[in-house]
Amino acid sequence: MQASGRLKSWIACAVLVIVAPAFAQNPLPPERAFRFSARMVDARTVEARFNIADGYYLYRDKIHFTVEPAATGLAVPSLPSGSAKDDPFFGHVETYRGAVVVNLALKDPKPGREVVIAAESQGCADIGICYPPTIQRVTVPIPEGSVVPPTAPEPAKKTWFD
Amino acid sequence: MFAFAGAIALAAGISLALWDRHPPDAGELLALSLPDLQGAKQPLAQWRGKVLLVNFWATWCGPCRDEMPEFVRAQHDLGARGLQVVGIAIDQPDKVASFARELELNYPALIATYETMDVAKPLGDRLLGLPFTVILDRQGKVAHTQLGPMKSEQLRSIIGKLL
Repeated sequence: MQASGRLKSWIACAVLVIVAPAFAQNPLPPERAFRFSARMVDARTVEARFNIADGYYLYRDKIHFTVEPAATGLAVPSLPSGSAKDDPFFGHVETYRGAVVVNLALKDPKPGREVVIAAESQGCADIGICYPPTIQRVTVPIPEGSVVPPTAPEPAKKTWFD
Repeated sequence: MFAFAGAIALAAGISLALWDRHPPDAGELLALSLPDLQGAKQPLAQWRGKVLLVNFWATWCGPCRDEMPEFVRAQHDLGARGLQVVGIAIDQPDKVASFARELELNYPALIATYETMDVAKPLGDRLLGLPFTVILDRQGKVAHTQLGPMKSEQLRSIIGKLL
């Protein structure tokens, strides 16, 4: 009985040794590695957030936001600084790990309607794999009867679309 | 006991599923004809009869750039014995040209889009991740596919058996 117990432990170890690396090497699909979410924080501000899985990173200059319908208009501020790396080919490159949060301003929000925030991003995994650009869309309802404050001043002149 | 049997079955299932999902058919890949840096279309079928290493990459992909010197060395050392490395860049031609000069690339750099990369899906790159490498034997059969960088010894060992 005891011997069989020990044998079981050995088998369990062997299975773990064989299976664990296979799981570790299986890269997450981009929408799970770089999970995007968005919510209204006031009548015209959308908090956009990427939650980045451990072992993955996003490129700062590959993040772009758009709003649908386009007529709503979106003001995108400067993204927070990432951790800087000197790339031998591209020079100064910034990346994010963990989470990135950006407050986007809707220029003409219609209370009671919905907008779709589309977030394009591109990143890599530390196991040595890079993903194609990925667009994730989140529908955000603008609360009924919300009082839209006067248009906020335009954010910093430079946006990601310049 | 059931848990152990389950784990073993799972491991076996994963291996089988992976094997099943990679039908070693390079037909679509070999049917590609893509522009080189001079804009001339290069059909991949022209390298039939050689051991063909096709590497999907991009300049913005750090792990891709890191492994490319190894391909340059392999092409230099084994080209005369029948190895042909071909890089397919999912990228802009000017960036590829600039990096190719910097690296003194000694094999063709072809330009493609992500739509082209769909041929890599049935070969095992479902997420269209880069780098992705396919090694074909002289008969055009898939000998190896790999998502993520290749190690030098691994590369030499696989190619050595095919030459």
